[in-house]
Amino acid sequence: MATLNYYIVLASILFGLGAIGFLTRRNALILFMSVELMLNSVNLMLVAFSQFRAEMAGQVMVLFIYAVAAAEVAVGLAILIVLFRHVKSVNINKFNVLKW
Amino acid sequence: MSNLGFSFSLAQLWQVCGGQILLIIAGLALIIADILLLGRDKSSRTGIIGWITIGSLVAIVLHVMFRQWNVEQTGIGGIFSADRFTTFLCAVVIMSGILAALMSLGYLKNNKLPHSEYFILLIFAVYGTVAFIQSVDLLMMFITLEIMSIAVYALAAFIKACRQSQEGAFKYFMLGSFGSAFFLFGMALLYGFTGTVNLSQIAKAISVGGLFHQPAILLALAMLMIGLFFKMAMVPFHMWTPDVYEGSPSVVTGFMATAVKAAAFGVFIKVLFVAFSPLLSTQSGFSATASLVGLEAYWKPVVWWAALLTMFIGNLLAVSQKNVKRMLAYSSVAHAGYMALGILAANAEGRAGILFYLFSYTLMNLGAFGVLYIIDGVERGAQTLGDYKGIGFKYPGLAFLMSLFLVAMAGLPPTADFIAKFYVFSAAIKEGYMLLAALGIMTSVFGLYYYLRVIWMMYMEEPERDVRAGTLTAPTLVAIVVAAIGVIYLGILPEGLATIASAAQAGLAVVF
Repeated sequence: MATLNYYIVLASILFGLGAIGFLTRRNALILFMSVELMLNSVNLMLVAFSQFRAEMAGQVMVLFIYAVAAAEVAVGLAILIVLFRHVKSVNINKFNVLKW
Repeated sequence: MSNLGFSFSLAQLWQVCGGQILLIIAGLALIIADILLLGRDKSSRTGIIGWITIGSLVAIVLHVMFRQWNVEQTGIGGIFSADRFTTFLCAVVIMSGILAALMSLGYLKNNKLPHSEYFILLIFAVYGTVAFIQSVDLLMMFITLEIMSIAVYALAAFIKACRQSQEGAFKYFMLGSFGSAFFLFGMALLYGFTGTVNLSQIAKAISVGGLFHQPAILLALAMLMIGLFFKMAMVPFHMWTPDVYEGSPSVVTGFMATAVKAAAFGVFIKVLFVAFSPLLSTQSGFSATASLVGLEAYWKPVVWWAALLTMFIGNLLAVSQKNVKRMLAYSSVAHAGYMALGILAANAEGRAGILFYLFSYTLMNLGAFGVLYIIDGVERGAQTLGDYKGIGFKYPGLAFLMSLFLVAMAGLPPTADFIAKFYVFSAAIKEGYMLLAALGIMTSVFGLYYYLRVIWMMYMEEPERDVRAGTLTAPTLVAIVVAAIGVIYLGILPEGLATIASAAQAGLAVVF
């Protein structure tokens, strides 16, 4: 029987992996996936807390987060496509016209 | 009881969220108007949509200022609150929206971007900021934060042919969603350990349960702070600021630097002083024992260092910039550091000082970006320091207004920012932060150098090349002149706004 702590630890590990992936990978699409991983680790934690507290609020929050994340990615991918047409690459090291 | 349970009356909904409802109606009406005007050519359609936007924003700011000022309650099951603190900030961000919309008419014309959807995005961005400020529930804060951010991402990427604009928007998007993931993680932890996401309920749960030193609560606080520091552009989460501010269309940059920052500061103050402040929750019946003064010991050192680093790094890196727009971006980072002093002071004067600061900062920053886009001609036409050489004689009016706004940002006496800095610094000194205030004043003197350097370039140097400024349209002129008059008026007669700001900060107690 998995207790609440397992879920918290698992969600934290996933969140950390997402954050590390975001900071170390150079492919823009992998960055998208990393952010999604971070958001979904939060979803996992919310569902676990919701189950543990025996109330629905946490699960309703997950639905909101899904909707917001989908809207966010739609705009983000659109920006990436326009940027790709300029740069012809998804390597974020190539996105370097703005720098000091 | 679950805080997502809905019990509300329509009258209360209108009282608390009247401004928000009007903004949504205006946004939807604009979409329909845009379809009805399909027959016309693109530039006249953009003009009509623009004027409708400006008209409705003016009506809404009047509604918020006069009808919402005396409303003090939380509505819709404790999701949104209307109190003087939020009403003041709502008025500031809507004002920022009005100035930005007035300037956008000319900006879109100069850059040959006749796209009416710009104004629709702008009004939804204003809606997002207003709802963000009004929310007293972490989940609603996340949703409205994203409504605001998504609209601003799209605005930042508005110049499709310009690679810098796309690149800035992409960086903003990536780091913005990275930051809001941290905010969300903090929210989930708080939900798990206190059972609620409502700010005042969190304060009660922390006080009753004595959760002051619990690692999970501290981790949640740290995560929420990271998420909001991204939006406030505080060091070390400021990396996106210069790139995004430089790449975005100038007017959008002005809106981002003022409205989004004002909203983030307002929400940060709410989170710190409502959810994580056991001292304030004594007002709702909790006794202040020694053990209750717990959380301040944790967040104050963090804000102390963040404020110091923000002031230093913002000012130091601004000096090395060749691009005036990028320099203004670093100056906006530095201003966030000065405002953070008011948060650190954690007293009534500090919070009133921040409100005053945000108001005057909105005026001078939008004014400066308005002049900047006209000198620019087309986006990235003349933004470097070299381009500014000698324009004092070619365009005396524009150069004068630019000098005025730069002097104001440097915080020299007859302007609003001098008073604003005086308020936040004196609030910090009152609470014993002498060293930080002294260092802050030092960086602010240091900042004089790069602001005055631009003025030197404009008046004392020979022109390097023939700079062609864009046309100055009437709406832009109105916006810039209003901003200039406001900056000087508040510098000479600050008492009126200062009184309103201190009345506004007292409204924070209503959230309980």
